[in-house]
Amino acid sequence: MSRILVIDDAATVRMYHRKILGDAGWDTEEAINGLEALEKVGMLTDDEGFDLYVVDINMPKMDGFTFVRELRQLSAARQTPVMMVSTEAQSQDTQTAFDAGANCYLIKPAKPQELVLTAALLLGDRAAALKAAEGVRP
Amino acid sequence: MNQTELLDQFILEARECLEQVGQRLLDIEKAPTDPELLNDLFRLVHTLKGNCGLFEFKAMERVVHAGEDLLDRVRQGALAYNNDMADALLEAMDYTAQLVDQIERDGKIAASADGRSTQLASALRALLNAPPPAPPIAAAPSSQAAAAPATEPASPCPAWVEALPDQPWRTHPQAVIWRYQPEPECFFKGEDPWLLARQTPGLLHLHVGTQTDWPDLADADCYRCNLSFIGLSDAPLAYVEDHFRCVAEQLEVLPLSRLAPPSGAAQAPTSTAEQAAQRHIQTLRQRALQIWDDQVQLLNRGGARPGTVAAVRRALHQLLQALSDDTASQAQDSMAALPADVSAAALGHWAAAHRPADLASTEDSPPEVTDPGSPWPMPADEALTSPGQDAARRGAGDDPAHHKVLKVGQEKIDRLMDLIGEMVVAKNALPYLAQRAETHFQQRELAREIKAQYAVINRIAEDMQHAIMQVRMMPVGTIFQRFGRLVRDISRKLGKDVQLVIEGEDTEADKNVIESLADPLIHIIRNSLDHGIEMPDVRTRAGKAAQGTIRVSARQESDRVLIEINDDGAGIDPQRIRQKAIERGLIPEDKAQTLSDTEAVQLIFLPGFSTADTISDLSGRGVGMDVVRTAVERINGSVELSSQFGKGTCLRLSLPLSMAVTNVMIIEAAGRRFGVPMDLIVETVRVHTDDIHHFKQARTTVLRGRIVPLQALHDLLALEAPPVMNEDSEYAVLVVRAGHESVGLLVDLFHGSSDIILKPLEGVLAGLTGFAGTALMGDGSVLMVLNPKELL
Repeated sequence: MSRILVIDDAATVRMYHRKILGDAGWDTEEAINGLEALEKVGMLTDDEGFDLYVVDINMPKMDGFTFVRELRQLSAARQTPVMMVSTEAQSQDTQTAFDAGANCYLIKPAKPQELVLTAALLLGDRAAALKAAEGVRP
Repeated sequence: MNQTELLDQFILEARECLEQVGQRLLDIEKAPTDPELLNDLFRLVHTLKGNCGLFEFKAMERVVHAGEDLLDRVRQGALAYNNDMADALLEAMDYTAQLVDQIERDGKIAASADGRSTQLASALRALLNAPPPAPPIAAAPSSQAAAAPATEPASPCPAWVEALPDQPWRTHPQAVIWRYQPEPECFFKGEDPWLLARQTPGLLHLHVGTQTDWPDLADADCYRCNLSFIGLSDAPLAYVEDHFRCVAEQLEVLPLSRLAPPSGAAQAPTSTAEQAAQRHIQTLRQRALQIWDDQVQLLNRGGARPGTVAAVRRALHQLLQALSDDTASQAQDSMAALPADVSAAALGHWAAAHRPADLASTEDSPPEVTDPGSPWPMPADEALTSPGQDAARRGAGDDPAHHKVLKVGQEKIDRLMDLIGEMVVAKNALPYLAQRAETHFQQRELAREIKAQYAVINRIAEDMQHAIMQVRMMPVGTIFQRFGRLVRDISRKLGKDVQLVIEGEDTEADKNVIESLADPLIHIIRNSLDHGIEMPDVRTRAGKAAQGTIRVSARQESDRVLIEINDDGAGIDPQRIRQKAIERGLIPEDKAQTLSDTEAVQLIFLPGFSTADTISDLSGRGVGMDVVRTAVERINGSVELSSQFGKGTCLRLSLPLSMAVTNVMIIEAAGRRFGVPMDLIVETVRVHTDDIHHFKQARTTVLRGRIVPLQALHDLLALEAPPVMNEDSEYAVLVVRAGHESVGLLVDLFHGSSDIILKPLEGVLAGLTGFAGTALMGDGSVLMVLNPKELL
């Protein structure tokens, strides 16, 4: 069972993302900003970490970029893919996200199937990816 | 979790955001360059916009988005914050709040909201130097595209699509087609339409034409834009809309799959199951390759940290896992052979070399039907699955102090409070039981054990009561927050200069108390603004500062909350009040003249009293301070007014901390027990029969140098027996406050006090105004609680 950490300061968005990802069959947890997420990650041992982070950009206390930068400074054993999901559609944000070390970038609101397909691919979950692909336009 | 829950969460969070935005907008007027405030404000609006996007709340998103863009510019220092902005933003947020109410009521926003929302968005964008409002075109059909039921007939093909030379629905059946017609003046707004069109995400094809035929070169104005762009893009429709968000009014965008092919165009064949399955694999592969390429680019950017490299390696591994074919597993093996600390360059090299093969392009793949509609951007069948094993935790605010906040509906708290109330009453039966065990069953041991157990349960019940009260406590600041806006708007309207000072907003009281206070306080402040504070020139002539001050302060004193509203305005002219009261027939003239000034001022609490000569929309309407008094007394509070003519007015509200538990004094008359609310009791005394003076029908006595009228409770309640004296010929007198005077109630016996849960009278009994309600006592009996004010 893959575990996903949803990091967003908007409660509604957290609920939405957790609902979609949870329905696809994964365990989800949440954090309300980068700092809280880092605390969560820091408390885990290497073998019980998350398999994917779904991160918003604009958050109080610590934004998504900073979170990813900090995360990428942890040991190699703690590294998992990061999916940034944000309403910013400006190209510089995509660049900043990649610079920080995020693996991909989706624009919010992401269609449920898009979100699930991307997550499934980053989790290596073929069954879920195929199911989600049904709802995605080629 | 289900849709409704998500929508409830949306409404809850939207209201929170709006409330905070309103607060910040007022704060910012005092500190227009505070980066902290501006960032906060931006983030709140940003959150609101993001949440709108999860639903099809276009009208709301449009307004909020415009506000976000504006605040973004201010935050970056590109624009200075000014009053026009404040007004536009406040107006926009007010409207957004209305939309939230509408969503809560109907679950959606009426189409009629489009006009107003476009107008507000344009007003905000105008401040950005964005295009002025164009006539609102029909909302871009993106939402309909997502939410249209599959059975809905496809939209007709617009003429401009049909006119295209190459038939895009043939070559790119899944693309979106858009038309962007920049407005003629766009060059003067720093826009670059050509660049904007060229940078459209996922651009497949761009056709540049003109909006009107070119005039002769000699007459042409080269500073006016006459271009029309038509483009084809394979990016999701939302990306295209977002790209053109600053010129949203000048863009039309439609997904080709939703268009009925123009007459003559060949209908695409419907797909078989096998084709469909093939296409899903194709979709998966394409997306996987996109992510794969992103990873390669990520490695080639340079400066990637070891952590990033490790994450990319893992992502590539997972992609191969998801592709799971022969070539993928080979690639996985070769990846495993890479060293653990592989460099970014080496991994990038490997990834480029092992990129999974693309399948044959499926250009002839048939179009597929879009999702069946639902107001949420998720297919209906998926959205209606049963709730998962865990409902998402309700979110906490941004404040770490509220880090582990749990939001609970009020009805649940009320239910809990009722249960605790019943528990408190039920435990009171134990002492009676102990007594019966001893007297009736001669079980002294058992009686002692019951008493011991009662002590434990009693302590727990009291703690529970205390805890639930704490849960229901709210800072009064939650309502004080609204006053800033009120004072600002009204003082502007009236041309007065008023500052509002708020003190003690952290003082807490029960939620019900707080909520019932909002309207009376607003009324009082309106009165201060309208009748109290003078125009600046009048103030200056009177030797006062031109700026008036309204001071709202709250503090706690023992078990009451005191709220004072002071203004340094004109005060109340007792002579004028007397005249008005006489004019309105509220008081006979001879009586009016005998009133002292302090008493005369109190006349404004009489029903129907209003000094406003013209009925303004601020106060007046014949609704006055009597409504305030009634509202405050309904929650067991009291209101006092003092005023110095020419200096100002002060209203003092005294309120209970909580309405959950009432402390009553229990008295007995003619063998029956009654409760009297403790906060109305002045004192309990024994009066000797010789000290009671009879004057006609009235009885009075002198207490502490004041004449106190006496009334027998027996007469008031028509009880069958007269009051009884004790062996010293003394009557028990309970002195209570009734309005502004004290009245002595003759009773038979005093029984001490008790905390009770007061239940109002219901049904046919509700008409008995002499009683405040009933309470269940520990021995199972019902106590009638008196309402002395009505009784007298």
